[in-house]
Amino acid sequence: MMTHRLFTYWTAVVLFILAPACLHAADFVSEQRFGADNEIILTYPAAVDKTIAQKPARYTVFEETDPDIRLEIQKITVADDGRKVSLIFSESLNTAKTHVVSVRGDDGREIESIQVKKSYLGYLLSVLISALLVNNFVFTKYLGLCVFFGTSKRKTTAKGMGVVFTIVMVISALMSWFFYQFILIPYNLNFLQIVVFIGLVSLTVQAVDTILRKVNPILFNSFGVYLVLVIANCVIIAVPLIMASNNYSFIETFMLALGAGGGFLLALYLMSSVRERLDLANIPPTFKGLPIAFIVAGQFAMAFLGFSGLQLF
Amino acid sequence: MANDKSSMQLIARGILSENPIFKLALSMCPAVGISTTVINGLMLGVAVLFVQVFSSVTISLFKNKIHPRIRIPTYTLTIATWVTVIDLALAAYLPDAYAKMGIFVKLIVAFAIITMRLEMFACKESPNDSFWDGLGMGLGFLVGMVVIGFVRELLGSGAVLGYDLLGFKPLLFFILPSAGFFVVGLMMAFFNWIELAYKRAKGKI
Amino acid sequence: MKDILTIILRLTVTCILAAMVMGSAFIITNKAKKHNEHVNEQKVRYALLGYSAAKSIPDSMALHEMYRYIVTDKEGQSIGYLLPGKEGFYFLTLDMGGKVIDNQPVKIDEAAVLEKDLRDKAVQEIAGTGRSVTFADQTIVVTNNGERVAYLLDGKFTGFKTFIGVMLAVDPKFTILGLEILEHEEDPGLGAEIERNYFRNQFKGKTFEQLKDLDVVKEPLPDEYFQALEGNIEAADAAKILAKYGDRDIYALTGATISSRYVNTGVKGIVKKFAYRLNILDTALAERKIEVAF
Repeated sequence: MMTHRLFTYWTAVVLFILAPACLHAADFVSEQRFGADNEIILTYPAAVDKTIAQKPARYTVFEETDPDIRLEIQKITVADDGRKVSLIFSESLNTAKTHVVSVRGDDGREIESIQVKKSYLGYLLSVLISALLVNNFVFTKYLGLCVFFGTSKRKTTAKGMGVVFTIVMVISALMSWFFYQFILIPYNLNFLQIVVFIGLVSLTVQAVDTILRKVNPILFNSFGVYLVLVIANCVIIAVPLIMASNNYSFIETFMLALGAGGGFLLALYLMSSVRERLDLANIPPTFKGLPIAFIVAGQFAMAFLGFSGLQLF
Repeated sequence: MANDKSSMQLIARGILSENPIFKLALSMCPAVGISTTVINGLMLGVAVLFVQVFSSVTISLFKNKIHPRIRIPTYTLTIATWVTVIDLALAAYLPDAYAKMGIFVKLIVAFAIITMRLEMFACKESPNDSFWDGLGMGLGFLVGMVVIGFVRELLGSGAVLGYDLLGFKPLLFFILPSAGFFVVGLMMAFFNWIELAYKRAKGKI
Repeated sequence: MKDILTIILRLTVTCILAAMVMGSAFIITNKAKKHNEHVNEQKVRYALLGYSAAKSIPDSMALHEMYRYIVTDKEGQSIGYLLPGKEGFYFLTLDMGGKVIDNQPVKIDEAAVLEKDLRDKAVQEIAGTGRSVTFADQTIVVTNNGERVAYLLDGKFTGFKTFIGVMLAVDPKFTILGLEILEHEEDPGLGAEIERNYFRNQFKGKTFEQLKDLDVVKEPLPDEYFQALEGNIEAADAAKILAKYGDRDIYALTGATISSRYVNTGVKGIVKKFAYRLNILDTALAERKIEVAF
């Protein structure tokens, strides 16, 4: 009986203290995003006062990198349910840049400052898709060709090489990121990029080799052969170099490496499917082997050109 | 006699019978990607030549001191060092050319041809022979790049080395990187054809 | 065991040798690289103003560098300009409304101010602790006999593939004097044609008013306009043709409409933002009667 009353008493106190905050929570935006070309949509948890929400002086909007240039709001509309406030601008917004919306109260003091940007997840996925399709390392960037032509004769070889490559790629790319961020940049040793990255790749290959040998000899027998070839693959060092020149974050590097490996696997698989059929076709003797493979690769490259400019997010 | 495997023979071998691009089919990434003009091909060819020659000679000089179990890492380290040097040098003294070649100069470190040459030749032969062999291989690569670059530049932009020869652009397609595949494939077939014709003339196969 | 030790020893020795070779290469080439970058920059700037190796810049002309920074502290943000005064440099801070916060002298000499690291450090010192300073952009004010004749603006914006970096020259009324493409990764033969004269020179002479509504049209470029832009026609005739087409929108590149559009929006953005900022800066300078080298 006593505990019950104490509990009710304290709940009442807490609610009493939090009540003003709860009421004010309605003042804070719960969701923000870009709408049409020239629109930012703010969503509130509860209906807002239309007259207050539609005062242009309440909002200050600017691109994060140019805080001194205030964007001109042409019109403000509030949706019927009172929760969505649309800020419409006289000129279209550069949605690639992060925008800041600063909301002020009637007293001129800032209530909150919101960042509006395209979804980060979307950006990460676009890095992945870019490395996979749009900037496919074999067909668009023309890297890793020696290994590519060597292992694309059979589907099984292709799959083996692709998988091993992806694994080594992701591991060495992440390790390279650590080295780059914590050793190369702080000590201004950028010119050692090449040596460090290729060193890390060799290390990864060696490590994967040893581990695979001990842990799963069967797997090693089928895939081990491809490990040595990974070092001769231009892509394996191209990815850390790209990461360094664009200064990607950890997760972005992961996406890039995954996309690169995946793209290579895709390219290998496509090529091997075609080459298996070519073996049975009637090819003139001068073209047999590599020449016809190159020409097929050229056609694939043209096809992949169709992906350029692809922007899903 | 080691000296009879003369310098000329070594060079000829590098350019013709064991041409890295057309015969050995190694280091093809730049052949496809960068050979859009003769100048680009020339620049990269020179860079590869430099790395090949210096690495061959360096490894050959130290061949007795390299422990067999750390062969590959040593080769990789040597190649990476020389690639870094040429990369820095090009960036400093020829910035325009360097900008066009982009990432490919740094990628020389992954070229299989150089490592293979060190493994097969430089670690066994004398520095002198290694020098000529490296020169041959490097020149073979250079010649290959220049030839591909010539064909693509001529057919793609009607000019060679910037001099307008044809006065019009036959097929823009040839400058686009995807054409690199076609051109290299066709040239390989062409080399094959020459070899077959030569063999037929000589020995009736 | 002895084997492993030998291996480690040999590997370490090789690494040290390699490091020495690379380190010395780096030191030797670094100076040349910086020098080359500097020379290249000068060349681009003079080209924008219409001067080259053939026609050298007159002695009465001077280039003054102006750097803009964003200063952030607990209360908010302000804009800082590192300006060359009559003697020495000043750091002028303006609030978001354009009012002057303060104007302090900066201890940095002419050579050091060209180096990004030294510059940033000096500015950070002036700003003091508790405030962070980020470099925003750089503008070059060109004066001839002390009068302002042009501004050189840097800019980088999204292109069809990654980024396009440009340098623009505008006159005191913000009419475009020239456009140079500094870097891009567009497709050769397609987007890369933005480097060509027949595209870039279309922007030359566009006034600020024209720039505001400037658009890109997907029509073929008239041949005489092409020849005039490329400089293949005599100056007098070329001037007539350029005047005839000068009012039109930008003709898009064949097969590269998107790249053309990006360059157009990029250029518009750079000039508009600069005009806005310069107005605020000049008002602030006049109000406080601050003397600058330009």
